[in-house]
Amino acid sequence: MSPLDGSSVEKGKSAEQTIKNSGAREREGKTDKISGKAGSKANRESSSKSSGAFKEYSVAEFFKKNKQMLGFSGKVRSLTTIVHEYVTNSLDACEEAGILPNIRVEVEQISQDRYRVVVADNGPGLPKHLIGKALAKMLTGTKFHRYIQQRGQQGIGAAGATLYAQLTTGKGIHVISGYRGKMISCDVSIDFKANEPKVENLEEQESSFHGLIVEGEFADVKYDASQYGVLEYLKRTAIANPHATIQLIAPNGERHLFERSVNELPRRVREIKPHPLGISAHDLLDIAAITPATKLGSMLTTELSRFSAEKLRRVAELADVDMNKSPKDMTWYDAEKLVKAFKQLKWIAPPTDVLSPIGKEQIEKSLSNILFPEIISVVERSPKVLWGGVPFQVEAAIAFGGKISRKGEIMRFANKAPLLFDAAGCAITQVVKNIDWGRYGLKKFDEEPIVVLVNVVSTHIPYVSAGKQAISSESELTDEIKNAIQEAARGIKLHLVHKRKAAELAKKKKAFLRYVGQIAADLSALSGASKEEIEERIKYIIEHRFDMGKGRERTEAELASVEDANERKGAVSEGSDDSKGKKGEIATDTRNTTDVAEGM
Amino acid sequence: MEKDTEGEPKKDAEPNKSKGKAGEIDGDTLALQRLKALGHRMVEEIELGESPAFETVVRSKGNVIFDEEGGFLRLGQKRERRRFLNLSQSKIFMQTLAVAAKTKKFIEEDLHTSIRGLYYQLKFTMGEDLDENLFDEQSESNALIEDLEAALGVKREDLHLTTDRKGVMAGPIVIKDHFAGEDVYIDGRKQGRSGWAIPSDVDNDMEIVELDANYVLVVEKDAMWQRLNEDRFWQKEKAILITPKGQSSRGVRRLIRKLADRGLPIIVFTDSDAWGWYIYWTIKTGSMNLAYLGRDFSVPEAKFVGVTMSDIEEYDFLKKLTIKAKEVDVKRAKDMLNYPWIKKHPEWVHELKLVLKTKKKLEQDALQGPRLTFVGDYLREKIHEKKFLP
Repeated sequence: MSPLDGSSVEKGKSAEQTIKNSGAREREGKTDKISGKAGSKANRESSSKSSGAFKEYSVAEFFKKNKQMLGFSGKVRSLTTIVHEYVTNSLDACEEAGILPNIRVEVEQISQDRYRVVVADNGPGLPKHLIGKALAKMLTGTKFHRYIQQRGQQGIGAAGATLYAQLTTGKGIHVISGYRGKMISCDVSIDFKANEPKVENLEEQESSFHGLIVEGEFADVKYDASQYGVLEYLKRTAIANPHATIQLIAPNGERHLFERSVNELPRRVREIKPHPLGISAHDLLDIAAITPATKLGSMLTTELSRFSAEKLRRVAELADVDMNKSPKDMTWYDAEKLVKAFKQLKWIAPPTDVLSPIGKEQIEKSLSNILFPEIISVVERSPKVLWGGVPFQVEAAIAFGGKISRKGEIMRFANKAPLLFDAAGCAITQVVKNIDWGRYGLKKFDEEPIVVLVNVVSTHIPYVSAGKQAISSESELTDEIKNAIQEAARGIKLHLVHKRKAAELAKKKKAFLRYVGQIAADLSALSGASKEEIEERIKYIIEHRFDMGKGRERTEAELASVEDANERKGAVSEGSDDSKGKKGEIATDTRNTTDVAEGM
Repeated sequence: MEKDTEGEPKKDAEPNKSKGKAGEIDGDTLALQRLKALGHRMVEEIELGESPAFETVVRSKGNVIFDEEGGFLRLGQKRERRRFLNLSQSKIFMQTLAVAAKTKKFIEEDLHTSIRGLYYQLKFTMGEDLDENLFDEQSESNALIEDLEAALGVKREDLHLTTDRKGVMAGPIVIKDHFAGEDVYIDGRKQGRSGWAIPSDVDNDMEIVELDANYVLVVEKDAMWQRLNEDRFWQKEKAILITPKGQSSRGVRRLIRKLADRGLPIIVFTDSDAWGWYIYWTIKTGSMNLAYLGRDFSVPEAKFVGVTMSDIEEYDFLKKLTIKAKEVDVKRAKDMLNYPWIKKHPEWVHELKLVLKTKKKLEQDALQGPRLTFVGDYLREKIHEKKFLP
């Protein structure tokens, strides 16, 4: 979840802070409590009890004010966000349980801008006591402060969707959870006053069903088939998650099925401790709120990676902060000084084997299954480190031709989750637009049947804003994205060149063959030899010469000679004296090149 | 091919040599042999698994050389191959071959036609086979006929292709014209006021059987020719009187060449302007466009009798009769000053510079100023005193 996993471009200016700023200007005190809610169980309990300030600040009010940032802006986007929250949860749950995901999404129109959404998965389901927390606990955070590659929730996660249902229809959501032999069915909503989940009408029965079905009604939303809609979102999700089968039953009854193209789960991601160079003052304060450590010094050595006693001593020196004080007493200023000190020291880079890209083969399979292109070129770059502290990895794929009908499409993914919005501000879009596609045999990117896919995976994706729909243009990142796309484009170029050559050859062959009859007749008239024999012989020469299997060098030389000759021909057709000087020189050159071609 | 531009041209690039060597062979008979040889060569190439091709001399300006020794324009040694299996050449190759096959037929049938006639013949016979017009324009066929002439080392007249007739002749000469199966004797003295229209081909089936002349006078303008014909200038001077009616046609140039070969001096009479002088130089050295025809179409021995700018000094009355030179005259004069074969003659440099300086010109018609017969007197005087420009 964006406010709390600290993923935002300017560290320390995350969504959370925006929330804080809109709620209360002072970081110390009240807002501390809001963020402090998520985290260890004990801590969460205590802060919710003591946060008097929060209670006065209505959850509904908070939501309304921060709607845009939470992904609920515009009717189409709101519906996509709702589906995103549930589908992301489903994918994560299945992967963690080692199950190949089968996800079914149903969208049904009830009235003008009111829809019923059902998301069902075959995951492990939720135990009774976690249903409310998972789906209706504001600022909940099983994912909070985990330095792990995760798809990332939009805004405040599934609870946001529940909240949206309540705010627009007055009703919560209905949940069916099949967990360890039991099937639980209940209604889930948020108690605005207590900011606590409310689980009602709970029924339980024995069942072998496992998985989670979430069903809710949402108003002020709209389904359409645009590039911002649910269908596009699910299509791209399927592309980035080739191990998942995803189907959508659209409001018009149409069924869109994206079947899995690989039967293996992606590599498990590994959680790592934050690296000193990948952390902000704000992150430090968040850690301080949940750490069991009693001293600031021990907090640093236990909660951060690569932190030795020696490093601690040097940081203490550089930052001039009392390492013996309680983490709870660390001020914003202390945190800033510490982060500044971290940057002055050398650190061993974080491990990069903790990431899980989609994979080269997997992308190839899913793209060919879903887009049916003529050719796919996929590049998986090796993992790199951002700012010295955050591992990341870029994958890029280019699909061209075939059944691709859209022109110049860019599919952006962050940790395998599709980014549909804020395209213009995204580093991926900017890199794609700045590439000189002409160099890769593509005249105008926007007019070619081409799809460029870029997936950035990281334990900490630097987003432009809390909307988490655009990746920030960090130079280390854009360089990698550029390298990946260019490498993929080279693969496409080779294909296009070969294809054009083959087409050129076929055209030439055809052009020659149509004259053969005439040539044979005239040669026969001149020489007295049999027309049929001459014709057969010339046809044989043509077939032999333009046999594609005979190696590329010859055909390339042939092409070169044709180009030269074309130039020359242009000169021949001009009959005036003035052009003749030029013609003569070029003609001599042509002779050389045609000789080369002939020798082959 | 090396860029040796000064070396001897290849034998078959120069039509007249073979002709001269084998004088008893008609041009069209030779053409027929070469067309057959061309066909055999290509069939051999095909049998070797190669693209049918033929070689031709590069006819562009860059390959035009002024032959110092011979005193005419000809082509250098740059040659190029036209290959069927070369996309940019295949169509023109096919067309050239079609022309070759067609002209072989013409020669065998002893029939002649114009390029336009050929164009329709080809259009007619190919039209059904292919969905594209293989000869969209007549101009397309002209270039490839030149290709064929250069490749075979024969003239288009030898291929039984006629060009427009232009030019008229009178004088003490008898020509035997074997035409349409009949021998016709043409007496140059009995052509009345119209003279004998010079055909496009004066080589094939055409023979000078009697010649009793002292020299050949080539007069630029038909009007002047008529004037001199009325004066019976050719009879008084025992001269062959020819007018090309402006720029010389191929037939006129060949005829002058043939008369020069019979030992007659060639004297040219044109306007005193750059255009007239250019007509003279084309007769003398040949033109760049037809440089591939070489010596056969040039008469380096030709001399220029007038009108010159210097005549204006000599004949006082002419001063009044000059007219203003046009833009094109001035431009042409400048161009001519750049031609090495012209600028090596100080007399011509002098004349051309006078044009540039005075911006004046004088028509040959002006010599009728004092009296209509003055032009004859003028010519006689200059010719007898050998007042020529080279």
